[in-house]
Amino acid sequence: MADLNQPPDDFVNQFLDDYFAECEEHLAVVRAGLLNLERFVDSSIADTAQLDELFRSFHTIKGISGMVGLSPAEQLAHEMEGYLRVLRQGEALLSKEGFDSLIEGTKVLEEVINAHKTHAPAPAIERTIEILREVVAGKDTSVTPAKGQPEQTQKTEDKKQWRFLFAPSQARSEAGINVNTVRARLQSIGDILSTTPLVHDGDVLFELIVSTSASESELDALKDLELTSEPIEPEEKVEPITPTSGTSQTISTSVRVDLVRLDQLMLLVGELVVTRARLEKNLKSIRTSVTPVQWRQLQEVHVAFGKQLRDLRNDVMRVRMVPIAEVFDRMRFVVRDISRETRKQVILELSGQETEIDKFLVERLMDPLLHLVRNSISHGIESEEQRIAAGKPAEGHIYLRATTAGELVVIEVGDDGRGIDVKSVAAQAPEVALWDDEGRIDFDRLLETISAPGLSTRDHADRASGRGVGMDVVARAISDLDGSLSVFTEAGKGTTFRIELPLTLAITDALIATADAQTFAIHRSSVQEVIEIEPGSIKVLENNEIILHRDEVLPLVRLSRVFNLKDKKEGSLHAFVIGTGNRATGLVVDKVLGLREVVVRSLSDPLTDVPGVGGATELGDGRPILILDVMEILNASRHVYASQQSH
Amino acid sequence: MSTTSPAPTSEEFVLFELVNTHYAVRSAFVRRLEMLESVTPVPNATESLEGVVLSRGRIIPAVNLRVRFGFPKIPYDIRTRLIVVEADNRTVGLIVDAAREFTSLPPAEIQQAPQAIANLNGDYLEGIATISGRMILVLRLDEILKIADDLPAGNPVSTIES
Amino acid sequence: MSAENKRRILIVDDSRTMRRMVATSLSNIGECRFEEAANGLEAIERLVLGPADLMILDLNMPELHGIEVLKFVRARPMYQSMPVIVLTTKGEESVQREAMAAGASLYLTKPFSAIELEAKVRGLLAEAGDKA
Repeated sequence: MADLNQPPDDFVNQFLDDYFAECEEHLAVVRAGLLNLERFVDSSIADTAQLDELFRSFHTIKGISGMVGLSPAEQLAHEMEGYLRVLRQGEALLSKEGFDSLIEGTKVLEEVINAHKTHAPAPAIERTIEILREVVAGKDTSVTPAKGQPEQTQKTEDKKQWRFLFAPSQARSEAGINVNTVRARLQSIGDILSTTPLVHDGDVLFELIVSTSASESELDALKDLELTSEPIEPEEKVEPITPTSGTSQTISTSVRVDLVRLDQLMLLVGELVVTRARLEKNLKSIRTSVTPVQWRQLQEVHVAFGKQLRDLRNDVMRVRMVPIAEVFDRMRFVVRDISRETRKQVILELSGQETEIDKFLVERLMDPLLHLVRNSISHGIESEEQRIAAGKPAEGHIYLRATTAGELVVIEVGDDGRGIDVKSVAAQAPEVALWDDEGRIDFDRLLETISAPGLSTRDHADRASGRGVGMDVVARAISDLDGSLSVFTEAGKGTTFRIELPLTLAITDALIATADAQTFAIHRSSVQEVIEIEPGSIKVLENNEIILHRDEVLPLVRLSRVFNLKDKKEGSLHAFVIGTGNRATGLVVDKVLGLREVVVRSLSDPLTDVPGVGGATELGDGRPILILDVMEILNASRHVYASQQSH
Repeated sequence: MSTTSPAPTSEEFVLFELVNTHYAVRSAFVRRLEMLESVTPVPNATESLEGVVLSRGRIIPAVNLRVRFGFPKIPYDIRTRLIVVEADNRTVGLIVDAAREFTSLPPAEIQQAPQAIANLNGDYLEGIATISGRMILVLRLDEILKIADDLPAGNPVSTIES
Repeated sequence: MSAENKRRILIVDDSRTMRRMVATSLSNIGECRFEEAANGLEAIERLVLGPADLMILDLNMPELHGIEVLKFVRARPMYQSMPVIVLTTKGEESVQREAMAAGASLYLTKPFSAIELEAKVRGLLAEAGDKA
């Protein structure tokens, strides 16, 4: 069946990143929403707000999937949306089969989208679509649900309703006051019940009805928004048009920032830091030209500036921190899935969701935690009968806890299951001593054994020993993040894995430069100045290249010569001024690309122990970049230049 | 109080190809097999160091085994693999022509290499095994990872027919 | 006409991917600058702050449905003749009729091709140009 409507790949490809990111956002909303919906199964109330939100999420996924030409996702989302339309229009109650089909449908939809992302074969969707259609067709229309407003009743007493009017204008917009920011601010102090555009005296205004328990003084803090406000008398109280339930938020008070933008922000802050350093230097040079009083004043301003810059830098770094809830919430869905698969009743207890971790870590933690949780449920938690026979509650418990301890973030994944069968592990690895002389389990050895290599080169799930699938993957992922993993287990009582991760990675400001089409990085702290060199300005003095810089002779060292790369023949060059006074040297590169904040990765292998190389990093495109050790380079250059002179 | 371990009946190996010859290294040392993506060259390093690569969040050295064994380099293709090995607290990638198979070998199967081959390969070779008529050169990983000189170019090992 | 002699095209859709695709689809049309709004309220605000030469309006948006936006905008004297293309999804014929009745110039059903969108936008801009 020729599909004439398929958009051309080269057009679509530029949007795929956005498409996947947006789908993931909506799927996260769907997951949370479905879990919220569970309590309404077979109940006579419906949470219309939640159904609305789910409907809209699938609707959007349907739309963009169609636009990028991913037809299976479009079709699946269409069926999901169809069932949700039926539910939200009150034409049917949410049955157990219906709920299950929504869960299943979401899972398959996720798989289809992921398969497209990883270029893997996509799962079949026909059966899922069939199930959804059956559910819609077989809907029980005998009882129509009543609209529910859960968790609303007890809270409305202490809240008042206010009417705000916002008049958009050019001046306000330039000051950053627009309808979106106004709504975000109001949302942070209460619930926005409605937003309506109005025309008054020929001008357009937005009327916002807000329910809030904020005091007059708290509302006063909003006065920079230039809103008019008046309380609404109890008789006039407005019925919420879109009641908000549990987790659904009509507006988020957070802004989606992609890491690229954040990196650029860091870059600007970094440049500010460099500029401040130059300012400091210039100030020092004029010290003798100003009076002591003037000098003191200048110093005060400069110090204040430095402090504010430091604060700015810390705050920008903190923007990268996100609550670990992002990761934990995903687990709720996973737990539900696996417990159904394994037919075990499992309760997930979360704590410390507000603990913040660097955004960098969020993606890297998903997989290891998923593995640990999956293993806990599959191998740790016993079946219902076994648990009852052991005097335990029928439902198994999985704990996910996060806290910070100094410079570390600690994450624990535990269960109250049967514990790791150490004897069985010992049988599989007889050469390892798992017990100490007093018969106590050596947990470090145990962990090492169950995370032993060799499992990753094959898919070999060894259930009996409780190793489970992927322990080595988990151990590897944690060590890649410079973290540590430990385990504690007690037969019959349960197992807990503890992950410790550094809160901040070794991050430094680095100047990025190219030489002969290769990219390098230099610690900003090694560099006094970055200068541009016009080709004609290089002179040769006693067989060394020099230029005149600030009326002084600056000897030059070409990175290309030290590294045996090709010199740049034409055009201007850049150089890093290293050192001061008569020790100053200019390290010449082809071009300085800019300043970036980078994560330093040590290059500890002896093979890479080469003079001039002091570490490596990568700028986010998967390609490693060497970090130069400038002192070694300057030292090495003396040999290079000496040998080049002997002709 | 440690228990003495019975001699292992069989060990697992990862097989790879280099210049139409089959080699084997113990699975226990192999972390994973990867496709080769960007390699960043390291200036003034030993010739067999192709450069560094990013693997699972870490930047590790990538050794071109062809160069290490004195063979000429060839351009990468879709069969080229990076075997990430770990030994002695070092993680290193080995660039080979192809790698896909795993096999079990009882230690008794690993015969000592004939004098001629052993001389050429220096300390890298632990022995030779024959599987389904194929000759497999079993390597000693620790020797390969040593910062020793690469074998001289023109090594005729490749001419061994199976 | 807008101050810089470039035509101002307002793209209103709550999906970022959609907005990007629309903007890119129209990038070959010269003398245009694009603005985006993620919801109907923002769209109205942007129109309050300045005239637009064309609006592409998604209907199914949270906060304020596209049809409400359209009705509100058409009621303003300045925007009675501004070309508006509404974006609908398959199987929503009644909504399409409502949109046309509310004053949409054209509708496009998702998924649509970039070429189709570009052609329709060019057509509407040319028409509007003739009338100016």
